Amino acid sequence: MSGLIGTMWIALSGLAAQQAGLAATTNNVANLNTPGYSRQRPVLEEADPILQGNLDFGDGVQVQGIASVRSDLLTLQVADETQQQGSSQAYTNAMNQVETLFPDDTTGIGAEISGFFQSLNNLSTNPSDLTQRQAVLTAAGNMANAFQTSANQLTQIRGQLDLNVQQQVGQVNQLTQQIATINTKLAAVSSAGQQYSSLLDQRDSLIQQLSGIVDVSQINDGTSLTLTTKQGAALVVDGSAYSLTTQPDSSGTERIYSAQGADITSQISGGALGGIVQARDQDVPALEAQLDSLASGMVTALNTANAMGTDLNGNPGGNLFLPVTGAGAASAMKVAITDPRLLAAGSDGTSGSNGNIANLSAVANQAVSNGLTPSGAYGNIVFQVGMNVSNGTAELYASKAMLQQLQQQQSSVSGVSLDEEASNLLLYQRAYQAAAEAVTAVNQMLQTAINMGAGA
Amino acid sequence: MRISPETSQILLNALNASDRAEQAALQQMSTGKRVNQASDDPAAAAMEVDIAAQMDGCDQYLRSIGSLSSELQTTDSSLNSVVTALQRAITLGTEGANGTMSSQDRETLAEEVKGIAQQVLGVANLSYNGHYVFAGTADAEPPYVADDNGNITYQGNDAVNTVEVETGQSVAVNQPGSALFSATGANVFQALNNLVTEMQDPSATTDDIGNATTAVRTAYDQLNSARSFYGSTLDQLQSSQDFLNSEQVQLSSQQDSTIGADLNTAAANLTSAEEARNAAVQAAASMNGMTLMDYISPATA
Repeated sequence: MSGLIGTMWIALSGLAAQQAGLAATTNNVANLNTPGYSRQRPVLEEADPILQGNLDFGDGVQVQGIASVRSDLLTLQVADETQQQGSSQAYTNAMNQVETLFPDDTTGIGAEISGFFQSLNNLSTNPSDLTQRQAVLTAAGNMANAFQTSANQLTQIRGQLDLNVQQQVGQVNQLTQQIATINTKLAAVSSAGQQYSSLLDQRDSLIQQLSGIVDVSQINDGTSLTLTTKQGAALVVDGSAYSLTTQPDSSGTERIYSAQGADITSQISGGALGGIVQARDQDVPALEAQLDSLASGMVTALNTANAMGTDLNGNPGGNLFLPVTGAGAASAMKVAITDPRLLAAGSDGTSGSNGNIANLSAVANQAVSNGLTPSGAYGNIVFQVGMNVSNGTAELYASKAMLQQLQQQQSSVSGVSLDEEASNLLLYQRAYQAAAEAVTAVNQMLQTAINMGAGA
Repeated sequence: MRISPETSQILLNALNASDRAEQAALQQMSTGKRVNQASDDPAAAAMEVDIAAQMDGCDQYLRSIGSLSSELQTTDSSLNSVVTALQRAITLGTEGANGTMSSQDRETLAEEVKGIAQQVLGVANLSYNGHYVFAGTADAEPPYVADDNGNITYQGNDAVNTVEVETGQSVAVNQPGSALFSATGANVFQALNNLVTEMQDPSATTDDIGNATTAVRTAYDQLNSARSFYGSTLDQLQSSQDFLNSEQVQLSSQQDSTIGADLNTAAANLTSAEEARNAAVQAAASMNGMTLMDYISPATA
């Protein structure tokens, strides 16, 4: 037994403990709306007992520290899902723009292809009519323009995505720098034995932002933290950040390089960068290839058909379109003739013959691209874009739902509840009052003891 | 288990979801289409490309049939006047073959036949929309031209144009003059010319005039039978037109079932999305009310 003075110390330790609790609660309430904040609670422990003979007497309470309530597993899962969401979001944003280039209705390439074949049929009723011949050339020009516009827009979208890549890489470098700085601070404070839960919160929040941009893999052994991409390119190792760089390749496409100088563009699978790279390097080029194949298929078939006939001057037909093949065919599609008399509608050299229009019209039902007719091939492009967007959107909503669920779980562990804090507040307040009463009681007893001496 | 205290995010998600559903339903109702972007239903969108192309094709076939029909009708009615004129020439020839006719009378008849020949020549050089309809495909120039001797020769060709009027189905749209006016052994101009010559020839016998009249009749028969081409082509165009009209109806119902919105469902979706939204908003209003904090008053201290 420690005597009255000792008991006074016990009461004082109670006061201190309740103050610590009050501080934690107040801090929680203050950070109610702080993103990434994990609620804190005091870590209290019984003080070592005092042994006297066979008896041990409690010696009050010790405040071990203030701890954040967090689940590292959930934090990791949230980061993972954030990568998925960032990727789907960036991908869907890009492909949504692409989708508008390939409408299925009365505008765009499909409608212009129809319009061209319509104008041919119209001409067949009066093949020597210059107005109707001009109408065919105009329709051909509109069709070529539609191809050009879509192809150029695709190029433009890829250009935007290139710019995006640079911006996102800049963002990655900024975040990794900040994380490295926090790591340095953490190393300093933990060696000094100080509290650092707010630093951990900040770091988690930064890692989550980083996960929205790039696929991050974390190795955290409690004292040091290593961040790499999923494929192992270093991003942060303890206090050092490793910056990614971008460099355009021969075609002007921005490639992403790790700090070690390796091209990691195609390895990036998650985060906004993953989605952007997927759209820019896979799906948009695939559509461009289909568009080019359709354009060059049509140009070749229509030029062949035109060459089979005779023009209004009785001469054999030449090229209706400038010959184009391979990559860039769609953006280079252009009508080769301006004189409507040069359209080879005839088959026998006479001005009134429409014999070759059948050959030109037949292109509508010919396999011009990957075994498909012009409108079939265009329908296939529409289908492809539609699938890309609808898959991307489905993934986006799925990962959003998943992320929301995980964030709810995380918040159920770490979130600040005002009800809980209110009851804690009352609890600490009451306990503080009680400890204070104990101090008063001990004080009075001490007074009594002192008076005892004075009275004798 | 501890309940997540962060209710606002759940609420926002619910509001987002109902907004999305509401927007989708509204778009369907305002456009009448279930597929407004390819991603709404990629397969249906691809089918729509094909249906739209077929519908465009139908529209064009119908336009072509319209302009062909008016050309063929004009041509046919012009030929009708030729038929009437040739009938008159045959009557005149028959009259001229009558032995009681004076050469003076025959001269008068011959003059009328000459007039008929001119009239027929006019029709044979009929031009429609800038091209000569009986010239085959050499239709930039008049097909029948008189030479220095007054003989009328055919400058056109025997070619026939065809126009596609349904997918994969074409019709011939012209009859060259060589089949109508100047068929071998049945040349209208030659026959009329001979008749005039015979009737103007005082030494010609009634048999000569009769033979010349028979030749006109032969040419008339040829023209009349070749002319039936126009009637049957017009019939064919009419039946194509009927087919295309029903095809259009069929295509638009196909289009409707492929990408059309079911307006009843869309309206129901809109209502339920709105209800969900209202419910979420109401829940929000009641949730963000009080916490235990509100009950800690200075009196408890």
